[in-house]
Amino acid sequence: MPFVPAFSLIMHRSSRLAAAAAALILSAFAVIIAGIAIGSVYIPPGQFLDIIANKFFGTPLENAADGNISNIVFSIRIPRSLIAFLTGASLSCCGAAVQSVLKNPLASPFTLGVSSGASLGAGLVIASGVAFMGGFTLAFAGLSFGIVTMLFMVAFSSAIDKSMQSSTVILTGMVLSLFISSVVTLLANVRDEKYKQIMKWQTGSFAGRGYEYVFILSGVLIISFIFFMTKTRELDGMSFGDEHAQAVGIESRKTKISVLVISAVLSGTAVSFTGVIGFVDLISPHIARRLFGANHKILIPASAFIGGIFTVICDLAARTVIAPGELPVGVVTSIIGAPFFAAVFFKRHKK
Amino acid sequence: MLEITNLTCGYGGIDIVKDMSVSVNNGEILSVIGPNGCGKTTLLRAAAGLLPYKSGSVKINGRELISFKRRSLASEITILSQDGVNGGYSGYTVYETVMLGRYARQGRAFFNKTSADDVNAVEACLGRTGIQDLKDRLINELSGGQLQLVFLARAFAQEPSLILLDEPANHLDLKHQLVLAGLLYDWVKDGKSVIGVFHDINLALNISDRIMVMSGGRNVICGDSRIVSRSAELSDVYGFDLSRYMRQAFAVWT
Repeated sequence: MPFVPAFSLIMHRSSRLAAAAAALILSAFAVIIAGIAIGSVYIPPGQFLDIIANKFFGTPLENAADGNISNIVFSIRIPRSLIAFLTGASLSCCGAAVQSVLKNPLASPFTLGVSSGASLGAGLVIASGVAFMGGFTLAFAGLSFGIVTMLFMVAFSSAIDKSMQSSTVILTGMVLSLFISSVVTLLANVRDEKYKQIMKWQTGSFAGRGYEYVFILSGVLIISFIFFMTKTRELDGMSFGDEHAQAVGIESRKTKISVLVISAVLSGTAVSFTGVIGFVDLISPHIARRLFGANHKILIPASAFIGGIFTVICDLAARTVIAPGELPVGVVTSIIGAPFFAAVFFKRHKK
Repeated sequence: MLEITNLTCGYGGIDIVKDMSVSVNNGEILSVIGPNGCGKTTLLRAAAGLLPYKSGSVKINGRELISFKRRSLASEITILSQDGVNGGYSGYTVYETVMLGRYARQGRAFFNKTSADDVNAVEACLGRTGIQDLKDRLINELSGGQLQLVFLARAFAQEPSLILLDEPANHLDLKHQLVLAGLLYDWVKDGKSVIGVFHDINLALNISDRIMVMSGGRNVICGDSRIVSRSAELSDVYGFDLSRYMRQAFAVWT
């Protein structure tokens, strides 16, 4: 069977989209609430509602123990679920846009060097022990190194290939990524006592990220999201390839550079807050394409929601599977993501 | 309309098109024929602004091509590349694909909605090319011939003054070749122009008023189709007596 968006068989296009959008938004709420309720301490829905009502409307709590639970909900669970959702959404937006401008299903901020750059930044901070910005030092170093790496990659590939062909960009990104990753491994081995900490950063975690992270990341996400939404026509054109895009009047090179730069900033911010979270940015756009078609006006928000939902679920798995211990969330996203990606991708190609 | 003077261009320092001049008038279909590797596609790409040129000039209605922004150029010229049907596109409907042709006339997405003008133009082009029925189909479900019509509809929706076609008949059966010819005839009626690269000399002869024969990156002969088809230059370029071959091949019909 050829590739057909799943809903198109049952419903008319516009009502199908409305229904699917509603389904996505509801599931997003559902998983975020599940993420808040489930954990080492289970919070049943009734108690959860009590706590919310108490916080916002001052209604009395039924018993004293709820005070502790309230604390867990507001200072730990809510920011954690939100940061997981925002990280997944950010990475997936970037993934969708980057895949389209490079017309390659394997392209993502991850393959283009942002994550490895951020790892190097974080690794250097951990290894040297400097802390010039308090708790944000690690995030700041990760962000700057992530962005610089991707900018360097963009500059380098545009210097060796003026038309910035996708294969050049992707190859440059991958070579650079591998190179930097080995520098990080080298660093971790040289500073043996920090080995575990450096390696751990590369597998990501949402633990202990407070509201300040939520606010910063949501701000960057909203701005970048609006940018991507103003570029949906260009992204649609670029999905047909550079020559098609140019034939209808799209500045393909300019679009490529601006999308790559914005993606570097957004995914760099996300990754520097949480460590490396793999595969989300690869799979969410693929699932979104299968469900909704390729039109970016719908694909970008749909990818963001799917990525957010997926990441919250992975985080939930990460902190419950071996509770009270915790798995690194980046490992969970990859373990679930890789077979899933293979299934989605090969199903499409099987005729 | 389009005037190419002493154009030299190519890839990686190798000149493919060499010191070539040709022009196309308003309301004219110009066919370009010639053996493989003679520079037909390179010429088209340079004329479409996809390939920077080394020397010479390409002028559209008197204005130098390189002075155009990509967006305003798209309202003058568009190109349908040869790899059109091999791109592995997926997920776009026919309607969405044709709507892309309106890009140069639209504002930024998100802040500017698709206008009624755009919708009408797209509907008209779908009608013109006879593919209204395919409107909501996904383009990856179409045959090569249908896809070629979709891209042609997109080119029409762009409303350029010149359409460049790189072997548009490649994936078309005989019937669709005639449909294509009819569509191009209609298109040039109100003063628009077409340059088409063709492999099939008979198709080129049928479609166009003038033919240019290229060889080794040069314009060997250019003129009235009937005269060019009987010229010694044409046979020289292909290396055998073309008109004799054609008479033999077509004897079966008479």
